[in-house]
Amino acid sequence: MFLPIFRHELKYWFKKPSFYIYVFVFLIASLAISSGIAGFFNNLDPTKEIPKLVNSPSGIFNIYNTLTTLIYFLFPSIIGHSVYRDYKCGVYSILYSYPFTKANYLFAKFFSAITIVTIIVLVIGAGIFVGFRLPGIDANLVGSFSFTSYLQTYLIYIMPNILLYGAIIFSVVIFSRSILTGFIAFLVLLMIQVLMASLLSDHEIISALFNPSGASALVYYTKYWTTIELNTLDLPIKGFIIYNRLLWLSVSVLVFASVYKYFSFSQQSVSFSFKKVKGSRLTKSNFGSITKVNLPKIKLNFSFFSNLKTTWKLSNLDLRYIVKSAPFVVIIIVGVIVLISEYIGSQSFRGTYRLPVTWKMLEYSEAYVLATMICTFLYAGMLGIRSKVANVNLLVDSSPTPNWVFVSSRFLAIIKMQFIMLLLIMIVGISYQIYNGYTDFEISHYLFDLFVLNFSANILWAFLAILVQTLAKNMYIGLLILIVLFFVLNTPLISALGLEHNVFKYANGSWYNYSDMNGYGNYLLKYFIYRLYWLLAGLLFLIVSILFSVRGVVFSFRERLSMAKNNFKGKMLIAFNLFLILFVSMGYVIYSESNKVDKIVSNTQKLEYNVEWEKKYRKYEKYSQPRIVAVKVNFDIFPNQLSFDLKGQYTMVNKSEETIDSIFIKYKDYPSTFELDEANTFVSNDSIYRFNIYKLEKSLKKGDSVTLNFTIKSKPNTVFGNNSLVLENGTSISKSKLMPTIGYRPSGIKDNAIRVKYGLTAQNKKAHPSDSTALGNNLISRDADWIDFEATLSTRADQIAIAPGSLIREWIQDGRRYFNYKVDSKMLNIYSFNSGRYEVKKDKWNDVDLEIYYHKAHSYNLDRMMAGIKASLKYNSENFGDYQHKQLRIIEYPKTLGGGAQAYPSIIPFSESHGFIADVDDSQEGGIDYPFAVTVHEVSHQWWAHQVMGANVLGATMLTESLAEYVRLKALEKQHGKDKMYKFLKYASKHYLSGRKNDSMGEEPLMYNSGQQYIRYSKGAIVFYALSDYIGEKKLNKVLKNFMQKNKFKEAPYVTSIELVNSIRKSTPDSLKYIIKDMFETITLYDNKIVSFETHKLENGKYRVDIEFNISKYRTNKNGSVSYSDNKPDSLVYKSTESLSSLPLEDYIDIGVFAREEVNGKSTVVELYLEKHKITSINNKISIIVNEKPYEVGIDPYIKLIDRNHDDNRIINKGIVN
Amino acid sequence: MRLVINNLNKSYKNGIKAIDNLNLEIGTGMFGLLGPNGAGKSSLMRTIATLQKPDKGSISFGDINVLEDNTSLREVLGYLPQSFGVYPKTSAEDLLIYFAMLKGISNKNDRKKIVKEVLEITNLYEVRKKYVDGYSGGMKQRFGIAQMLLNNPKLIIVDEPTAGLDPAERHRFLNVLREIGTNSTVIFSTHIVEDVKELCNDMAILNGGRIIKKITPEKATEEIKGQIWTRTIERNQLESVEKQYDILSSNYNQDNTLNIRVHSYEKPSEDFKEAIPELDDVYFISLKQDNLS
Repeated sequence: MFLPIFRHELKYWFKKPSFYIYVFVFLIASLAISSGIAGFFNNLDPTKEIPKLVNSPSGIFNIYNTLTTLIYFLFPSIIGHSVYRDYKCGVYSILYSYPFTKANYLFAKFFSAITIVTIIVLVIGAGIFVGFRLPGIDANLVGSFSFTSYLQTYLIYIMPNILLYGAIIFSVVIFSRSILTGFIAFLVLLMIQVLMASLLSDHEIISALFNPSGASALVYYTKYWTTIELNTLDLPIKGFIIYNRLLWLSVSVLVFASVYKYFSFSQQSVSFSFKKVKGSRLTKSNFGSITKVNLPKIKLNFSFFSNLKTTWKLSNLDLRYIVKSAPFVVIIIVGVIVLISEYIGSQSFRGTYRLPVTWKMLEYSEAYVLATMICTFLYAGMLGIRSKVANVNLLVDSSPTPNWVFVSSRFLAIIKMQFIMLLLIMIVGISYQIYNGYTDFEISHYLFDLFVLNFSANILWAFLAILVQTLAKNMYIGLLILIVLFFVLNTPLISALGLEHNVFKYANGSWYNYSDMNGYGNYLLKYFIYRLYWLLAGLLFLIVSILFSVRGVVFSFRERLSMAKNNFKGKMLIAFNLFLILFVSMGYVIYSESNKVDKIVSNTQKLEYNVEWEKKYRKYEKYSQPRIVAVKVNFDIFPNQLSFDLKGQYTMVNKSEETIDSIFIKYKDYPSTFELDEANTFVSNDSIYRFNIYKLEKSLKKGDSVTLNFTIKSKPNTVFGNNSLVLENGTSISKSKLMPTIGYRPSGIKDNAIRVKYGLTAQNKKAHPSDSTALGNNLISRDADWIDFEATLSTRADQIAIAPGSLIREWIQDGRRYFNYKVDSKMLNIYSFNSGRYEVKKDKWNDVDLEIYYHKAHSYNLDRMMAGIKASLKYNSENFGDYQHKQLRIIEYPKTLGGGAQAYPSIIPFSESHGFIADVDDSQEGGIDYPFAVTVHEVSHQWWAHQVMGANVLGATMLTESLAEYVRLKALEKQHGKDKMYKFLKYASKHYLSGRKNDSMGEEPLMYNSGQQYIRYSKGAIVFYALSDYIGEKKLNKVLKNFMQKNKFKEAPYVTSIELVNSIRKSTPDSLKYIIKDMFETITLYDNKIVSFETHKLENGKYRVDIEFNISKYRTNKNGSVSYSDNKPDSLVYKSTESLSSLPLEDYIDIGVFAREEVNGKSTVVELYLEKHKITSINNKISIIVNEKPYEVGIDPYIKLIDRNHDDNRIINKGIVN
Repeated sequence: MRLVINNLNKSYKNGIKAIDNLNLEIGTGMFGLLGPNGAGKSSLMRTIATLQKPDKGSISFGDINVLEDNTSLREVLGYLPQSFGVYPKTSAEDLLIYFAMLKGISNKNDRKKIVKEVLEITNLYEVRKKYVDGYSGGMKQRFGIAQMLLNNPKLIIVDEPTAGLDPAERHRFLNVLREIGTNSTVIFSTHIVEDVKELCNDMAILNGGRIIKKITPEKATEEIKGQIWTRTIERNQLESVEKQYDILSSNYNQDNTLNIRVHSYEKPSEDFKEAIPELDDVYFISLKQDNLS
């Protein structure tokens, strides 16, 4: 009997139009998305030098797996429907009495539904295949076809997951006899997955094992794969992937088996109730009859006002229904859990979290937003079909209450529900703050942010949800459409379709950004204008929903259309046209006004602008220009008007051998005037590219100087553009955003694929440090070397204005406060202007004045920062030379301007979100004290940047960022001890490894890096830390000191990484010379692994540890492809269960043995043994004798070497073998 | 107020003509719409109740153009569909208050008053706090009447309301209908002839979407006086008798013989006795004639 039922089921589906709709929708979606990511819409950033193939094994996995996930939304209505149908039609009472077995029935039902799903999955696969091969896609992005990639993804991930989710939903529907319950089950599964992802983000192995989708297991193995590996390697099938798949496959079998066991052909569904039901006998009692009907006189009222009242009351009834219904309760519970877990796990910076400040609580998780949206979309559908489901629709529909009352009441109910969900954020947020002992509650901030800003965005989705659910025939399809729309409108995907401007993207618009220092700044007006604009669209949606809402029995869409046409008259027509006119005209105004402000809208346009700039003016690149030697600025800041006024003076000298006849000035997009003190003609005035050329009447000879006086004003602010960089509180403007530069400036287009595409010549990212002609400029400035600097700042009387240098004079004039600063030392041509209502914390270190300018509420970590300043000043001045300024200032700025800290001469602007509100945990488990660490790093730049600056060639940042990182690690080591370094190095290692994975321009060795953060910070930190370990801290610091003394304030030719590496090499013993090559000159990685270890207790009470471990060293080229030899067939090979290769080894590697001890009631890992061993082969066995019982052994246990998997570098003891 | 239906047509996608050029005039009082299953009764009722659009035709009720001005009709309408459900876990009282709101009773006290009254009329007052989805078939049907009465309707449409009711419930139901029917127009569809006989002062027989007879029940039986004949036959005779005569109905007796009723203008044979015409006879004759034409 299996086959007949199976066949019947399939036949049923093949006859159903919805099946073909599903197939069609998924075919289109897979075609669109696959061709989209393959560049069909011409939407991508122009091709990268190392393109990530879209149809590589991992590419196929990503797109195929993601697209099939969308099918899960249909499971309730496909898999659930297969059994639900029998209940719904009441066939079950007949069917269950037929002579087939339970097994036949269940298997046939389940597998027929799975077959239908599989057909859709295959269609998706075909859609992807075709999508990647449409004409017009970018051929660079598509590799050759590999059937195995599709098959592997299907067999290992998609199919087991379909069986798992299918079995669960099948079982829920079969027992509950409700598709909705099946849908809730699906939502719960989805939420659990989201929850696991966020909770387990730090527990990769648990996540790899237990994440039901299996994707985490795959990520575990491929997270550090480079582009070339992703492009070429097959996805691994091993370890956690296999365990995970087996686990979940058995769960599906278990689920199905329990369905088989507990299902019976009975008439009652399973239901749970906590109330005991008392049975009572039902007997007939009404025998009487009625002969008179006298209804009381009542008043019927159909006025508009009475209808409004009805709307409100109906919406309350609907709301009560929502709040009491299971999906809402489930989603809310899961949503709150997600919210809390988001709070707990939110963005630690190297293990340290932020204090639960209110804006942090309001940055609620995306999962919670999604929960709100799903509720909105779901209930727009459920309320719409509620009367029909209860079969009460004919009674309701024949009442005289107009359509608009019903539709508006549903809308109202949904936005009330949204209100409740927002309220929950506030409740959870405040509870979380209380729990954490944070008591600075900003209730009004909560209220405004949630119920004004967020609410006004959420209701827009309620409008759209009502519209889509009114038009959709099936609520679940409506839900799917809405979710897709939500993602499309909230991701860059829509811009990919050519709609970049916000007026075309429903519910989009300018967003807002909050900072404790500067509140909502001036984002709000613009924000509300867009909200109002989309509100008009929402009202149009509402009217269309009213027109199309079904009353009575309707048989076709055509009928609905004609009904809508009939209803489209009178007030509806007037209201619709009114809103339409308002909407369109408002859209037009927004569009033209905002375009006026920002003429360059799209990325492509920006790129084209830069291309044109380069084409037009690059010819002047080699023209010698005078160099700035002194800068004098009068900068007036107006925090009330959000404007500024600047008068500046550059003193410039011809330092070149050539005579200079013309001066080129490139200026920023502000009204500016320029005046040279030498007679000249204004030759060219290009206001598009903002490039002025002045021809001097008398050429400048070598050593001649010229003065440039200029003024810069801010442009008037408009609704759509704040043009001034000035904030009401916390202004922080860096030189590069404001000041004119001399000479040609490179366009910044570095990617050669783009360059060639746009007709520019291919070029190296930067010159090589061995190119002696390229050492004329430093990394910071193309028009200056070391300068003198003086600035006079003025601001509102209640603010302090700060620029680099000593405060020479402070005075008040016309109610404004003036500050005159002068820098005591030579400095780079880089500075910033700051103004705000600051509190000041003062201290002193030797003769240096230390000051922290901070926002009043943010006093949490000032001592840590102060300690960081002192530690850094101490370490740097002791090891490398004197501090060049008389003061050092940290200045807090709003997080809306960014999240980091920057080092300018003697001042360090520091973001409010970075350090000021860190919640440092000083215990052993705590993360990095980054208010301290970041400060150390930035202060170190006063030496490593502001005293020694490299030439603008490859590797220059090794001399600044890598060394500042080195000092940071050394300071941390002094503060926390060596044990904790493992943790710090792990963060650096993680950052490096994931950074190189995503580098589409290609990786370089440290000393030739082109400025990538993951190299200059993280690899630099690891390398210099390891180096100090290998050759000794003193020796390294001596090299660095000599290097510093030699190159301090040195002008062209500027120093390079080669010089530093050479000096290091000189101080490195021959046996260790290989590390110079490994660390600086090449990209070298290790794959080190403890194979096993055994502990033997010796008779003298000591312990012998026998360790077997593998060492493998390899290099990669810039694409990430691996090689085990340096141009010679000299690699080592070792074969055991798997074959391993390595570069030849003469390497010294740490081997450590650790014990676990109770220290102050806490168990800590204590080093018993740590020595460098010389390793010459891949597989090694050694024995070590230690005094105490070993707990853990490790090969390179502190991960000073770069290893893509250092989980296997340490192994915990399994017991003692005798 | 009169309900006037002109040239009403409705075809479904599957090709069935549910309403076929139908014309009908109905005055105040109880109007019975008699027809077999699938005759188009429900389609017609839904169309009159503004819940379904016809392809063609017009309907007016008093001054109201029903098809153009749905709302005005709904204001005076009481409709009880053939089958209906209720919101789960809602008491009769709450649900009636909800319907009262939808029917335009905006005053809270008015709502309470009328709900109490209709609950008493339908003898549901005792169980008003109970969930309606737990009601028996008869109680639910009474609840249907209760909701129908809320707005004191001028036009009442009840679609096969007596199906599935026990005799006592049925009587009670018909009595309430009759009582309301004195002041308003009640259209009452059924396939049970008894209902019409007991209740209606006017009736029509609907078959295949057309009105094949419109007449008062008395007149209808009057018309066929002397044309209905009956006799008792053996079971095995039925086939031959069927060929000979126009048999309207045949009923078993206790002894396994059959009573047959035959339509004939003259006495068919000596064995037949003249019978008193019943409304059933009218109904069967009309249907048979409709099939022949």
